[in-house]
Amino acid sequence: MLKSKTFVKKTRSGGIMKIVREHYLRDDIWCGSEVCTECKQEETVLQKDACIESNLCSFAHYLLPDTNIVLSQIDILEDPLIKNVIILQTVLQEVRHRSAPIYKRLKDILHDKEKHFYTFTNEHHRETYIEREQGESANDRNDRAIRISTKWYSDHLNNTPTDKRLKVVLLTNDRGNKEKAEESGLLTYRCEEYVKSLIANPELVDRLALTNDDKNEITSSKVLFPEHLPLSRIQSGIKSGTFQQGTFRASRDNYLEATVFVHGEGDDSTEVLIQGLQNLNRAVHQDLVAVEILPLDQWVAPSSVVLQDEGPKEDDVTEEEEAELKSGPSGAASRKPTGRVVGIIKRNWRPFCGMLFLSQIKEATRHLFTPADRRIPRIRIETRQAATLAGQRIMVAIDGWPKHSRYPNGHFVRSLGSAGDKETETEVLLLEHDVPHQDFSQAVLSFLPKMPWNITEEDMAVREDLRNLTVCSVDPPGCTDIDDALHCRDLPNGNQEVGVHIADVSHFIRPGNAMDLEAANRGTTVYLTGRRIDMVPELLSSNLCSLRSSVERLAFSCIWEINDKAEIVKTRFTKSVINSKASLTYAEAQMRIDDANMNDDTTKSLRGLNRLAKILKKRRIEKGALTLSSPEVRFHIDSETHDPIDLQTKELKETNSMVEEFMLLANISVAQKIYDEFSECALLRKHPAPPPSNYDILNKAAKSKDMVIHTDSAKALADSLDAAQVDGFPYFNTLLRILATRCMMQAVYFCSGMDSDFHHYGLASPIYTHFTSPIRRYSDIIVHRLLAVAIGADSTYPDLMDKHKQSALCNNLNYRHKMAQYAQRASVAYHTQLFFKSRGILNEEGFILFVRKNAIIVLIPKFGLEGTVFFENKDKPSPKLIFNEEAPSLTVEGHSFNMFDKVKVTISLDASNVQHQKIRMSLVEPVVRLLFQTQSLCNYRDPMVVNFHEVMN
Amino acid sequence: MATVQVSEAEKVYILHGVRDDLRVDGRGCEDYRHMEIETDMVSNTDGSAKVTLGHTDVLVGVKAEMGKPRPMVPDEGYLEFFVDCSANATPEFEGRGGDELGMELSNTLYKVFNNRYSVDLKSLCISPGEHCWVLYVDVLLLQCDGNLFDAISVAIKAALFNTKIPKVHISEDEEGGKEIELSDDPYDCMRLNVENVPCIVTLCKVGHRHVVDATLQEKACSVASLIISVTHKGTVTCVRKVGGGSLDPESIFEMTETGKRVGKALHAPLMALLQEEESLGKKRQKVGFLG
Repeated sequence: MLKSKTFVKKTRSGGIMKIVREHYLRDDIWCGSEVCTECKQEETVLQKDACIESNLCSFAHYLLPDTNIVLSQIDILEDPLIKNVIILQTVLQEVRHRSAPIYKRLKDILHDKEKHFYTFTNEHHRETYIEREQGESANDRNDRAIRISTKWYSDHLNNTPTDKRLKVVLLTNDRGNKEKAEESGLLTYRCEEYVKSLIANPELVDRLALTNDDKNEITSSKVLFPEHLPLSRIQSGIKSGTFQQGTFRASRDNYLEATVFVHGEGDDSTEVLIQGLQNLNRAVHQDLVAVEILPLDQWVAPSSVVLQDEGPKEDDVTEEEEAELKSGPSGAASRKPTGRVVGIIKRNWRPFCGMLFLSQIKEATRHLFTPADRRIPRIRIETRQAATLAGQRIMVAIDGWPKHSRYPNGHFVRSLGSAGDKETETEVLLLEHDVPHQDFSQAVLSFLPKMPWNITEEDMAVREDLRNLTVCSVDPPGCTDIDDALHCRDLPNGNQEVGVHIADVSHFIRPGNAMDLEAANRGTTVYLTGRRIDMVPELLSSNLCSLRSSVERLAFSCIWEINDKAEIVKTRFTKSVINSKASLTYAEAQMRIDDANMNDDTTKSLRGLNRLAKILKKRRIEKGALTLSSPEVRFHIDSETHDPIDLQTKELKETNSMVEEFMLLANISVAQKIYDEFSECALLRKHPAPPPSNYDILNKAAKSKDMVIHTDSAKALADSLDAAQVDGFPYFNTLLRILATRCMMQAVYFCSGMDSDFHHYGLASPIYTHFTSPIRRYSDIIVHRLLAVAIGADSTYPDLMDKHKQSALCNNLNYRHKMAQYAQRASVAYHTQLFFKSRGILNEEGFILFVRKNAIIVLIPKFGLEGTVFFENKDKPSPKLIFNEEAPSLTVEGHSFNMFDKVKVTISLDASNVQHQKIRMSLVEPVVRLLFQTQSLCNYRDPMVVNFHEVMN
Repeated sequence: MATVQVSEAEKVYILHGVRDDLRVDGRGCEDYRHMEIETDMVSNTDGSAKVTLGHTDVLVGVKAEMGKPRPMVPDEGYLEFFVDCSANATPEFEGRGGDELGMELSNTLYKVFNNRYSVDLKSLCISPGEHCWVLYVDVLLLQCDGNLFDAISVAIKAALFNTKIPKVHISEDEEGGKEIELSDDPYDCMRLNVENVPCIVTLCKVGHRHVVDATLQEKACSVASLIISVTHKGTVTCVRKVGGGSLDPESIFEMTETGKRVGKALHAPLMALLQEEESLGKKRQKVGFLG
């Protein structure tokens, strides 16, 4: 039967369009139940003995939730206990329309065979399709459709033999809908009612999202926050320019401060400062908000106070803190555009990891949850299993933030395991950094080559045979995913031939298949201390693609002819087959070069490479490439317990820079080639020059030692950093370089057709890309594909040539890279804690890296560890603090602290608080009367700590 | 215009018949042929109607789109006409053959309908000087068997009656920025008042008398015809003479009188029919194009 659906909609250009869709009704849509004898279905989803033990429904029944239940209580539906649920098409469509993530979760449940969730296409069923009636809103129509379908199911199941008779329970929280359903004789419960009646799992109640009714009970009626404006007002405000739209970014150091990043036209974007609880107005980190810029006389400067929300306290206490906040520096120059949040355009809530902060009242069921991410506010949840959950890492979802509640309301989602457990902690940091780390799905694995795998005749025919070359690889110890190998040999004409051979991953990962999509989503391999989360399945990463010694491997080679002065005479690219003669570690390679007795081909090749690399490096530095510094640490992990047993800062050998030099050369050569060939869609990497204001901190620091740092160009910066030496303070230069690293911008991937500035500031190269690590970076796979097309070795595909799709891919890759870096740092931080746990208390020397209004930040070079030493304490009277913003210096009880001052601190693990274990740092030297350094935080997590290699290359 | 060949003898036969108020198909001089009307035929228009008159078959669709009011009349919407002479109607329309006729028809339709006395153009205004509804009236000739004007006019009136324009309201913020909002209820729509929409009555001078609703044969016997648009009250809103011959003032007067009488008689049952069809609502069995 044919019906037509008609609706009118507004087009983007402002016109109004009538749209008519044909809608076919069928009579062959089955009910999906095992008991049904009428329906001629081949497979049934809903079980015969659909039994969820409940006080309310002692009989077998199917559940039929309405849209709002699915949207708000998806956590409940995901529980293994809840089975035999009918999801109507109406509900599915509405969910899809309103929330993409929940739709995806619902789809996952529907695909899970164990859950027995059935989709009933009621909109196409002849008996359950309804048309919207005059004067009926779309919501009312959908509610009616749900009721009609429930009724149909009840009647339909009534036709079965009595002994097997099943009932259908409609779950709805909508009062009107419930009444109407009861009128027509349907069995209806509110979700809370039903879940509370379940006998098998009382814990499920904790997962109930709090709905409007419940919120009222919890909080006092005192209104704490201004009302959010409705979306229509916000939109018209943005249009007229009274409001700005931007991403809300909470401050890590100060819970009463945040910035809103307003995306302007093109590169023109500004940051708006938000201060105080009222102005923050319930925005949560990463939300898309509308802000109103305050008048100029209310603008403030960002405070340099470090403030943390200290658990539950009376709401008015915060006012004092706010007063304190406001008394910050009022120099007109440092004032920033300040605003307040007037409304939320889109919440960006996800389940947050963290721990429960138990209520002092023993019997209480309401507790505060402290997220691991300091930028997320505490969340109030209701649970009856607080005692069990204490000491565990749990996930909590936010349900809402009413205007009279100090904290948002949420509900418990799941437990990750006990805190301090290495597995749990790793899980937490992977989740917190949005690192996809599930095992590869069957679909992905199905695209792996069949084992045993061999190089076929066809492969050999299209590839250059380089098996006879003396190729070797140099990597860190323990590396199993070797993606680059090198060779160097003398040519008859006196020049040298140098080859960089990169694993040919794009041969195995074909565009568009499940493995490719998964790799594109993951973007990068994530290296945690003691664990690696692969971008491609292990068979490829550690075996077929890895250029191990003495096996034949497919490679993508970049071969130069280089003269004696290390100038490139000729460059060519080819797909090849190689057979690496040796996989060396940096130390082994260094040893071979240094050992005069060794004169085999591999060693000769290495010496040739090393000689050329030195010339290349020198030339690069002359051109203005930066050598910055960052403290990097490496753990020695016990092979049995996987606990860190020693910690050392990474040491760079000559061979490290040898490999790096040739990788840079290959990357630059490839970048030029793909850009020449595809000027619109080459995937490149750029490193923008930082704005001059970024160097403020560096300039101030240098000034304190009577030095001047020139920052007008990369070359000037490099030269003045080289010149900056203080007698008797050898580490000063390194400290300065650490600071300089933090002034840098983040290097990013981009599509050449979407940008005009290609310059790589740090490497002083006009063009750059990533070609040399396709096993661990997806960007390199794309570059491989582009290069393969450029040399005619492979065919192209539409997405590769689409600059908008490329650009979207770049955004994902940039995001994944950033998150991977954060996850890596967090992992190091965690292992540092483990390390100090086993070491006990240590006294170490450190240097002051930054001076804040109420604290100093100390760097301990030996461990590459950074920590904050506070001079304030909530419980004791504050010491006399004088903060000089210009120097910057902080005078505590007569002793002044300046940048780069040497201090001695005691480091120990503060395990007293299970919630957040932290490394405690307290001042030993100079001795300040009244020591208030109560807490300090291990700061690897801080995004300010930027690793030089991560930023630049 | 589609033509038929009529021999001298046939002409005489027709002329004599008309003189005696008995036409070839048995009608009197002021009678219409059998007429069928169906509205809401084309779902992706805002209003539509199909009229069959004898073998003449006309489909009219009305689409409402937002536009800018004409500068001279900022508080009124307007109508646009387009007549498509399908080659299905007659082989002569093939290629650009129908263009001339289409132009002639649409020019007449502008004169007859696009004025504030026929259609309440003020109700089509959304915000004066900025937005108004423009009704695009598309006429499709499916088959030509004479008397196109009358059939088209009846179809247009029916289609306008059937037209449902989505309701919009203008919301204004503090800064005076205007935003057009569309109601999300598809039933929430505006109807046009078609009371004053005229119908066209074409009178053909055959011999000394005149006939309404001339067939192609009668038309071939006529030298001139008069197109008169008449409202339900009998008011004449437009008169045009078509054809090569001339008309003496006395017969023009007579023909106008007949036109008024016939027009008035045409409106009443038409409106009654349209209202009856409307009242059936969704229960109405649609006939469509195959019926």
